[in-house]
Amino acid sequence: MNGMDVDQPILRLRDIRKTLPSGRRLLEIDELSIHAGRCLLLTGANGIGKTTLLKILSGLEPPDHALVDCDGTHLLWSVARRRFRREVIYLHQEAYLFDRSVTDNVTYGLRGLGLSRAQVAERVQRSLEWAGLSHLAARNARELSGGEQQRVALTRALVLTPQVLLLDEPFSGLDEESRSRTGFLIQRLKSERVGMVVTSHELLPMSGIADEHLELHAGRLVPPTRSVQRASTGHRPREVMAPGEVAYFDTKGGR
Amino acid sequence: MDGLGEATLRALYLLIEGDGALWNIIGVSFSVSGGAILISAPVAMVLAFLLAYVSFPGRRPLISTLQSLQSIPTVVVGLLVYMLLSRRGLFGDLHLLFTQTAMVIGQIVIAFLFVVPMAHGVLAAADRRAWETARTLGAAPWRAMLTVMTELRFGLLAVAIAAFARIITEVGTSIMVGGNIESFTRNIPTAIALETNKGEFAQGIALGLVLLVLALLLNVLLGQLQGKGEMR
Ligand SMILES: Nc1ncnc2c1ncn2[C@@H]1O[C@H](COP(=O)(O)OP(=O)(O)O)[C@@H](O)[C@H]1O
Ligand SMILES: [Mg+2]
Repeated sequence: MNGMDVDQPILRLRDIRKTLPSGRRLLEIDELSIHAGRCLLLTGANGIGKTTLLKILSGLEPPDHALVDCDGTHLLWSVARRRFRREVIYLHQEAYLFDRSVTDNVTYGLRGLGLSRAQVAERVQRSLEWAGLSHLAARNARELSGGEQQRVALTRALVLTPQVLLLDEPFSGLDEESRSRTGFLIQRLKSERVGMVVTSHELLPMSGIADEHLELHAGRLVPPTRSVQRASTGHRPREVMAPGEVAYFDTKGGR
Repeated sequence: MDGLGEATLRALYLLIEGDGALWNIIGVSFSVSGGAILISAPVAMVLAFLLAYVSFPGRRPLISTLQSLQSIPTVVVGLLVYMLLSRRGLFGDLHLLFTQTAMVIGQIVIAFLFVVPMAHGVLAAADRRAWETARTLGAAPWRAMLTVMTELRFGLLAVAIAAFARIITEVGTSIMVGGNIESFTRNIPTAIALETNKGEFAQGIALGLVLLVLALLLNVLLGQLQGKGEMR
């Protein structure tokens, strides 16, 4: 390990336990860490519990038990979760957009943070420009195409500058071009020090992006049977793309 | 029948001419039922939301019970409210029996029992991702609840309108706890039910027409809301 990798994880959980109402033990994970600027790829068979794990990490679903390392002590996840709630955002496999305009969707999480109207409007506008969505700002988000909806959902999360993003099957249902765009985006977020957990049943789109790859098997995180080409370790991509260069993230117009 | 045609003409005349007694009756109906729905629907919807989104012991049986109370006979509600408000009842000291307030209370109960299971149906069938998205974007539980309800506004408004249609046409509770007192607690249904046998056909028909037109309008509104709800 070189010097750049010894930094504290943003989030380290221990003893994550989840049992389904049916009595099936879904998760028995000893340890899981999320680091700034690193991407953890999580694979595993359908129905094995990947989505459930991400929902637990985001606080959407309560585990039966979990501990979190917090300032040198272990706290119950149920107690410490509040501290992380705003820093960890879960993105559904299929984005859910509110039945409102694109602008209202992106504004949603910025309410109640003590920002002035002008500050909120400015941040929203900047994010929409960044994502190449400005020309759709006034449209109802439900009327957009699938790819556009995914971009709105991502922008809606990124405008909150979370420390951790949990992406559930971000490549499913995308064509080749959108896949590589999403891959680029994950790279870009890494360079902006966002910690990520990505579930995927496909390895290819994640090659060269994932820093770590674990497989969920019988409730535990194990080394994967098939592995993905890791991101070169020891350094992080330094080049941060200028906003003008994010056209790859933009399917239509907006250039 | 000559009598019926003549009475209908007289009914239209009464409506157009702005007959004071007639419009007073219509006014009582709208203020009582309007007040009842405005008070009960929001509370009922919050309860429906809790039933759909919070799990607690006894939730299933509670939902089943409420579902079976949905179309409780209005005279039964009338009886219960009567007993509570009568002089020896629990709230007898308030002297509310045979007032508009008593009618509002009765209709609140009917509307509440109607809205809770209906709204629960709408909320329970809705996409859970709405709630999850709101929460993961940092919304507090109460705000996430309002967001979910806003997403379902067409369906929930349709429930409220159907409840309004039920209480503005109900007779049982209004007669029992209102007492059909002229220009005070006499509303459209009680006037039709009790005044017609005095030979006041014209007034009965006029009021019947008002209810019919209202029912028609509410139905058109419901149809449009359902269309919108399905579109999205
Ligand atoms: N709310 C729930 N109640 C009961 N079982 C559930 C619930 N959510 C998920 N499950 C079950 O948990 C298992 C894991 O689901 P999920 O986390 O979605 O798996 P994955 O994302 O890996 O496909 C599945 O067997 C699923 O049927
Ligand atoms: Mg899944």
